[in-house]
Amino acid sequence: MNQKLLSVFVIVAGLLVNSVPLFAHHGVAGYDLTKTITLHGTVTKFDWSNPHCVIHMDAKNANGEVQNWAIELAAPSLLTRMGWTKNAMKAGDDITADLHPAQNGAPVGISGTITFQLKIVINGQPLPTR
Amino acid sequence: MRNRLVRLTVALVTMLAFSAILSAQTAAQQGAANSNQTQTPAHAPDLSGLWAPRPDGIRINTWDSSDPFGGKPELAPMTPWAAAKWKEARPPFGAKQTFADINDPVQRYCDPPGITRIWMYPWEFTMIQTPKVVYILYEFTRVWRSVAMDQEHPKDPDSTWMGDSIGRYEGDTLVIDTVGLSDKTWLDHTGHPHTDSLHVVERLRRVDPNTLELGVSIDDPKAYTKSFSGKKYFVSTSSPMGEALCAYSEMDSFQKSVIEPATKPTGK
Repeated sequence: MNQKLLSVFVIVAGLLVNSVPLFAHHGVAGYDLTKTITLHGTVTKFDWSNPHCVIHMDAKNANGEVQNWAIELAAPSLLTRMGWTKNAMKAGDDITADLHPAQNGAPVGISGTITFQLKIVINGQPLPTR
Repeated sequence: MRNRLVRLTVALVTMLAFSAILSAQTAAQQGAANSNQTQTPAHAPDLSGLWAPRPDGIRINTWDSSDPFGGKPELAPMTPWAAAKWKEARPPFGAKQTFADINDPVQRYCDPPGITRIWMYPWEFTMIQTPKVVYILYEFTRVWRSVAMDQEHPKDPDSTWMGDSIGRYEGDTLVIDTVGLSDKTWLDHTGHPHTDSLHVVERLRRVDPNTLELGVSIDDPKAYTKSFSGKKYFVSTSSPMGEALCAYSEMDSFQKSVIEPATKPTGK
């Protein structure tokens, strides 16, 4: 019975996770939303611009090779409402970022839209999340 | 001589008094005219303020109330012409959503979304009500439209991105009737097309002090075998509108740094 209850809970929790509303103006079909990865590295550039802000960062892959990642965020006006500013980060900052990676394995991912923002830590300080 | 002086004085005082009355009347009329440009009629519902989509409506992708999230967009009552156009669409949302080779006119070319799709974006809007014109200002792409109150449509309106809108108040509701819409836009995020015969009726009313209800009715006999409608809700917000523009150079840069790498067949 307990196992049955646990199974139901897991299924319901799965449905809830999958029904989280997402919105990026271009959709999110290119990302694997079932997977969340954490990268640690250095910010190389921060685009505070429409249609979406983008973090560019260097991080080492499993083979120890440095890869430059592009991480999509929400638009500047939406991030501003969440408490971010154009000074949230700059090239050279230490960064730890959670993101949903691209389906095709490219070093690209999404960390936020209007409806969610995954954890981003800059120089030890977490940025606002939803 | 003295009598002439008295008559002259009386005439002068009369002229001055008359002139003062005229001047006061003109000022009053001028004031009333100015007032007409900035004040809404006493019977008009107050729809002013900043409005943001209610969170439960952010994923609304169609105006078909039986399929608001676009899970079965093929079930819309499309004519054969519309069904063929819809099959060509590569939209960013709904059951056919894709990331690669999108032909969404907004995402691909920064085209204005048109008046039914503009409501689907998760940004704010505000309304300025005057007796003769209601202005609606949208944060997304910073487009605005004017609704001519208590007027008729022109006999043969041009086809434009935002169409020709006329409006009236029905009790607590602002009813907007729009024709003259360019067929370059999509009705919604799932790529449903329309023709320049599209006729849209929007109904806006406060359902409580902090909630605005939008009803959208679509009628386009060349594209759909029957009319259909949907609703969306907005909540009052104090966040000022920002610059959510679609600038082609920024769009192109984003395309190259994010979309193209994520859609290349290489990788995994």
